[in-house]
Amino acid sequence: MCGITALFAYRSDAPPVNPVEVERITQRMFARGPDAGGVYLSADGRVGLGSRRLAIIDLHEEASQPLTDVEGDLTIVFNGEIYNHRELRTRLEKRGARFRTTSDTEVLLQLYRHHGRSMVQLLRGMFAFAIWDSRERKMFVARDPYGIKPLFFSDDGRTIRIASQVKALLAGEAVSRTHDPAGIAGFFLLGSVPEPFTMFESIRAVEAGTAFFIDENGRGVVWRYAPIASVLEHAESQRHIARLVPPRVLLRELVTESIDYHLVSDVPVGAFLSAGIDSTTLVALANAPIHTVTILFDVFRDREFNETREADEFARQRGAPHTTRVVTRDEFVADMPKIFDAMDQPTIDGVNTWFVSKAAAEQKLKVALSGIGGDELFGSYTSFSRIPRIVAAVHAAQHVPLGSRALSGALATMRRTNPKTKRITTYGGTYAGAYLLQRGLFMPEELPSIVGEEVAEEGLRRLSIVEHIAGVLNPAPSTPYGRVAALEASLYMRNQLLRDTDWASMAHSLEVRTPLVDASLLRQLAPVIVEHGQRCKYEFANAPEPPLPPSIRTRPKTGFVTPLRDWMDLPPDGTSTRIRQWSRIVYEQFR
Amino acid sequence: MRILILCTDAFGGHGGIALYMRDLVTALVADERCEEVVVVPRKVSRPFDALPPKVTFHAESARGAASYVGTVARLRRERFDLVICGHLNLLPFARALSPKPLLFIYGIEAWQPVRRAVPFIQSCGGVVSISEITLRRFRDWSSFRCPSHLLPNAIHLDEYLVVPKPREERRVLMTLGRLAGRERYKGFDEVLEVLPSLPNDVVYIIAGDGEDAPRLRKRAKELAVADRVIFTGFVREEEKAALYASADAYVMPSRGEGFGFVLLEAMACGLPTIGSKHDGGREALRDGLLGTLVDPTSPAEIRAAIVDALEFGTRARPEGLDYFAFDRFVERTRAIIDDVMRGTR
Repeated sequence: MCGITALFAYRSDAPPVNPVEVERITQRMFARGPDAGGVYLSADGRVGLGSRRLAIIDLHEEASQPLTDVEGDLTIVFNGEIYNHRELRTRLEKRGARFRTTSDTEVLLQLYRHHGRSMVQLLRGMFAFAIWDSRERKMFVARDPYGIKPLFFSDDGRTIRIASQVKALLAGEAVSRTHDPAGIAGFFLLGSVPEPFTMFESIRAVEAGTAFFIDENGRGVVWRYAPIASVLEHAESQRHIARLVPPRVLLRELVTESIDYHLVSDVPVGAFLSAGIDSTTLVALANAPIHTVTILFDVFRDREFNETREADEFARQRGAPHTTRVVTRDEFVADMPKIFDAMDQPTIDGVNTWFVSKAAAEQKLKVALSGIGGDELFGSYTSFSRIPRIVAAVHAAQHVPLGSRALSGALATMRRTNPKTKRITTYGGTYAGAYLLQRGLFMPEELPSIVGEEVAEEGLRRLSIVEHIAGVLNPAPSTPYGRVAALEASLYMRNQLLRDTDWASMAHSLEVRTPLVDASLLRQLAPVIVEHGQRCKYEFANAPEPPLPPSIRTRPKTGFVTPLRDWMDLPPDGTSTRIRQWSRIVYEQFR
Repeated sequence: MRILILCTDAFGGHGGIALYMRDLVTALVADERCEEVVVVPRKVSRPFDALPPKVTFHAESARGAASYVGTVARLRRERFDLVICGHLNLLPFARALSPKPLLFIYGIEAWQPVRRAVPFIQSCGGVVSISEITLRRFRDWSSFRCPSHLLPNAIHLDEYLVVPKPREERRVLMTLGRLAGRERYKGFDEVLEVLPSLPNDVVYIIAGDGEDAPRLRKRAKELAVADRVIFTGFVREEEKAALYASADAYVMPSRGEGFGFVLLEAMACGLPTIGSKHDGGREALRDGLLGTLVDPTSPAEIRAAIVDALEFGTRARPEGLDYFAFDRFVERTRAIIDDVMRGTR
């Protein structure tokens, strides 16, 4: 896990790469990799690579980055973990590949040498990297299918600058700080900035599941090598496979395999534990005792959000080390400046992950497993039932006699005080529109009053939010479940959960691994989840032997809520958590 | 020792279970303690050669359900030291003949609950599974916790030859298996999907017959590789050797194999072999020691493994294949019988 920098002055009329800029960008990401750092500058000054390294696999100095291969013509900066690096290495050695370290980083270099760009489809893991190929004078850039690891770039037409964080690119002082209305609009509509947009016009995200080359002509065609929607769409023709084995058994086998891969490490691995099904099942399925960490916000001590009793009991039964860490308002207030400094882009979430990561780091953990992804796989969100209902109701209202009755049913699922209710017939006719209704923080019509007419109009025009959402359904899965799963994984999880997990954990030099967010697992499980839908959650809870205790299996889903309403004394805003008010406070930090 | 085997098919039968049963019978009669093995098949679909010594084969039981029931009823009057149930579906009959039959399980037939067998499973004296994956999946739904044993397929290495491939310009991939329309787990589709991305000189032999053939032909056309896919239709035993000899690599990215005996055959013929990480193929390839394991859901992995096999594979039996040699099968069978007989005393 690292923070990486790559600068390539690809056009001949571009000034050479400034080593000071490389250093500045890289140094801004010190917390992402406190163990080692390094810079590579090509002899002709056209390429600069930088890295801050959090050493997890192969702790030796020779594995530090930027890393050049044995042949001396490929150099890489890499952020992430390749969980199948050992099997890839064995196969490469049969092809004659030579290595000088045992790191996964070097495997990437040899894999590129032997397979070219298609190497990315052979990786199991989370990754964002740039490989400088000095033989052909081109750079290869790629990011993992789910977008677990971040990567951003700024391309001025002559030089491309790439880094793990938006704020790091800005720290280089060569990138414009002009705000992007589309990024601002995206934040207020969805609660996080949807990629590829950022808060700055000149900075874009390397999109999840894409790869591209950069040569003297600039960025080449972007290759979308792993759209989540296509996996779910393909799975619909694979249902017969799901019928071969009971779902509980397949879930146990495949998730256990994923956990085993995610435990590959040369340092101890811990886990975040709540009393929810996903994290407890992960810990229960792990083949080794894992140090677990739970947090308790003190104001929740006597409320339904307090999960510590069940989590403590579960951990006690497992017999592994367990830590419950209490977080108070005072600590939150004291940490707020650091939280906003670490927050790479505005987001309405992430404070919870900040504190659980802090607690894990205090326990000297360098790696922690998280149950993120279970809700998207197993359909735990209300969106899985509500979105298809809204779409069906609006269609019925439009095309069927007595359709208004169906629409009233859908309206009843949303509070009438919510501004979204008024917009159901405007947006609810498509999955993309209904998703906006379900996940939206504010409605497009509300933006002018928040960010002003001009920014709202320009931002909404450039963002085209409904088309943007619809874009992730390509190809569109034919089942409602498949569509909502694709939307949640490609939008909410990618832009919010995974981004928040990244900045909040890396600020504490903690690597968070997500066994349920794994493209290989998704491919294998997709026929099962398409066939069995939301029943998978029940089957998942029964997958461990023995199954999870009833107190956890039957516990209502509460979410990982932060008591911002109490701590910040936020005024009413139409939401139970006052999250709209919080979004305005967050936005102020990025203006 | 007198042993009774109830099975779906054995001598005069086609397919993996018939072969396994023949090997089992042969291994049992090789045990000097064994006086007689009585075999009651449900099906006999073709003529068969002479039976091994000490074997009584009730071919008449295969004439129909009534014949089978009649044979079983007659055999109830006889005394056997051990009753082997060769298929879950036959467990009610086995239970009628013995209070503690020894159950044999293979693949997908044991991965899901079998209603007619459920009431009788807990009374089994033991279970013999062809693979760990089948045993694990069987145990999950059956809650069977009594003694269990592993008895993987055997390969008669002396019946196969590693011969050089006849000179030809094409490079040949091959998968052998029944083209089942309902299950579709052999991995034919997965190989077809990557064929367009392989060099044009690579052709694919789909060896076997079944109701899924028209769909696979259609898929080959859709992928514009119809001219690079050869459907052999039904393959007779005596044709197999030539088929393996014509291939450069055996590829089976399957998801429903209990073990994958054909992988052993391919390796015995010296073919570089690609199997699945996610079914019994993993055990046939001994966790990758004997061949390459791939994730059957990953076209990129399948493609890379095929390219490696075609470019770097050698025509030789892999070291460690003798783990599955028939004499080892005989040893394992004897050990299981020892164990079971100890338990019945």
